[in-house]
Amino acid sequence: MAATLNQGSPRFAHQSEAELARILDFYGVAWRYEPDIFPISWNADGAVVESFAPDFYLPEIDIYLELTTLKQALVRKKNRKLRWLRQLYPEVRVKLFYARDFRALMLKYGRLDFLADVAAMNGNGPLNRP
Amino acid sequence: MIDADVEEVLLSGEQVQARVAELGAQLAADYAERDPVLVSVLKGSIVFLADLVRAMPIPLSIDLMEVSSYGASTESSGQVRILKDLSTPIAGRDVIVVEDIIDTGLTLNYLLRYLADKGPASVRIVCLLDKPARRLAPIEIDYRGFTIADRFVIGYGLDYGERYRNLPYIGVLRPSVYGAVAPE
Repeated sequence: MAATLNQGSPRFAHQSEAELARILDFYGVAWRYEPDIFPISWNADGAVVESFAPDFYLPEIDIYLELTTLKQALVRKKNRKLRWLRQLYPEVRVKLFYARDFRALMLKYGRLDFLADVAAMNGNGPLNRP
Repeated sequence: MIDADVEEVLLSGEQVQARVAELGAQLAADYAERDPVLVSVLKGSIVFLADLVRAMPIPLSIDLMEVSSYGASTESSGQVRILKDLSTPIAGRDVIVVEDIIDTGLTLNYLLRYLADKGPASVRIVCLLDKPARRLAPIEIDYRGFTIADRFVIGYGLDYGERYRNLPYIGVLRPSVYGAVAPE
């Protein structure tokens, strides 16, 4: 059964993930938090040296969601991992939500106050445009 | 004037009107003998609905629904609610859901499940603007006005803070209006 905040909240790595979980709960979309880990690189002995665990899985839609709040310039590593995952597991559908996507989502829902709070906690600058 | 808050006109009033007329003609042809009911989702879709039905010279009826939006909920962990339900049964009817814009698809995904429980003969979707960049729920759009890029748009029913719905065109809101600054 999919996790929801009402059934006991997992320990989210970032407030934006908790906020996305609340949005999914609000619209009745089932989700699981980091349910699967996909190995993406191995050493010569066959041991996994790098893996990727997307933040959410939406079982009814059969899609994984990865949410990043990193600045665009710092997303390169995550983009690379995502590219490998898609090559190794072409049947797996993954959608990457960048920081700008999340900001746009908050703007759409009139939750700019949430962004301001997160930015203040992280010691970040003012809100950038979506 | 509210035009001053518009950074760019994305679709002129003439472009919108021409496309709405095309959609209306297509729907009228497809539903000529089916007496469809057009279900519009308040509030953003009313301008589109008003123009669309006037471009459909066939027997039809309209109904209005309103569902709560995530950000408008004062509860930190609420659930979407029907604020205004259908006023007439749709069992056995051909339903056309009229949407102004489809973004994440979450609201429409909820609404389609709700309508399916009412036993309609069919449900199809007409939307003026399709913004697929952040689509989460898979939505099959049957009639599409325009596919647009990932911009925050206002006008022709679309609002920011309940304003700008009365603009006759689709515009991009100036970021300074919502307190954003240019990217570094």
